[in-house]
Amino acid sequence: MAKGKQLSQPEIERLVERARRGDRAAFGQLVDEYKDKIYNYVARMLNDPYEAEDVTQEAFLRAYRSLPRFRGASSFHTWLYRIASNLAIDVVRKRKRQEPTYSLDEPLESDDGEYEREIPDDTGGPEARTSTRETRVAVRRAIMELPEKLRDVMILYELQGETYEDIAEILDVPLGTVKSRLFNARNRLKDSLQELVEAGELEVER
Amino acid sequence: MTCEEVRAELVECWGSTDQLSAGAMEHIEICPECRYEALMLRETHVMVRSLPQERAPEGFTGRVLEWIGREEAQRGWGARLAGLLTPARQPAWARAAAVGTALALAAAGGAVWVNRAAEPHAPQQIVSGQVGTSSVARPAAAGEAELDELLMRHQAMELTQPLADDAGVSLVVYTTN
Repeated sequence: MAKGKQLSQPEIERLVERARRGDRAAFGQLVDEYKDKIYNYVARMLNDPYEAEDVTQEAFLRAYRSLPRFRGASSFHTWLYRIASNLAIDVVRKRKRQEPTYSLDEPLESDDGEYEREIPDDTGGPEARTSTRETRVAVRRAIMELPEKLRDVMILYELQGETYEDIAEILDVPLGTVKSRLFNARNRLKDSLQELVEAGELEVER
Repeated sequence: MTCEEVRAELVECWGSTDQLSAGAMEHIEICPECRYEALMLRETHVMVRSLPQERAPEGFTGRVLEWIGREEAQRGWGARLAGLLTPARQPAWARAAAVGTALALAAAGGAVWVNRAAEPHAPQQIVSGQVGTSSVARPAAAGEAELDELLMRHQAMELTQPLADDAGVSLVVYTTN
């Protein structure tokens, strides 16, 4: 799977090298390359767009500050993910001790009252859209209910398309741990979403 | 194969029968529970994959670069300031001389303090008819006559008005010119 939007690996390496020497424009290109991936990952981990933006921004700032120490032992993208993962996990742990936060599924508030967050949806008519929205809400909730270690692996593998090897490097755990966490995460998600799946029009012979 | 073994395989491949082993496939054909399990997993997988990709907000890269610029500017000023406040590394003899001077000054300061503590009762100041402790600073431009008068007033007060709280006297601070 491609790691970025359009830059090749040698191009990324050149940009990293320039950014290490303090070339901000080069770093800007790297931010452009990875911002959506990192933001999507953090947003799925936290289910809060405001915190996701802050954490993603902090991840890039830390990456820039730490670039002089980046020796290229791992790829830039796994290194960046590792920074983002550590920050996201910190937020998740802090949250456990604090109050609830905003959700991607909750309506936004303004001076004129509440309004729904607009997420582009090009699937079917109004009924299908409602059903799709409910499904997404349920899936997001089920993912959020996973313990953070399982959630991390689930998001990285299923939604970010990372390989087992890259995930092991990002999370600094053995390959076997990645696989077992993914196995447990899938089982838990299946159990959480069972009701929703059964409520659908499944023709199951039992 | 047992149901447990087949289900473990099913989880591995999200219920996709294309990737199942021949033994698991045979089992599924005769086991409705495992067939149902496979379907549940496939549907769950479809749901998970249906989540849209979130995109970083507009202007994100610009904001990150702006922060970096601000931080670097601050660091630049900080480094310059630190350079002014931190002297360049000195040779060993210079450091030894500096330590010696500091010790001598500390000893002199200590001697002054001991002498002050040995002086007679510290003065009290009368403010609006009340007695209280205060710091007494010798005015730099005060003449000898003024100082004498001040001392006399303090001595007279000591004779007529005992200190209300001797412990408070320790708070009196002398400043010397």
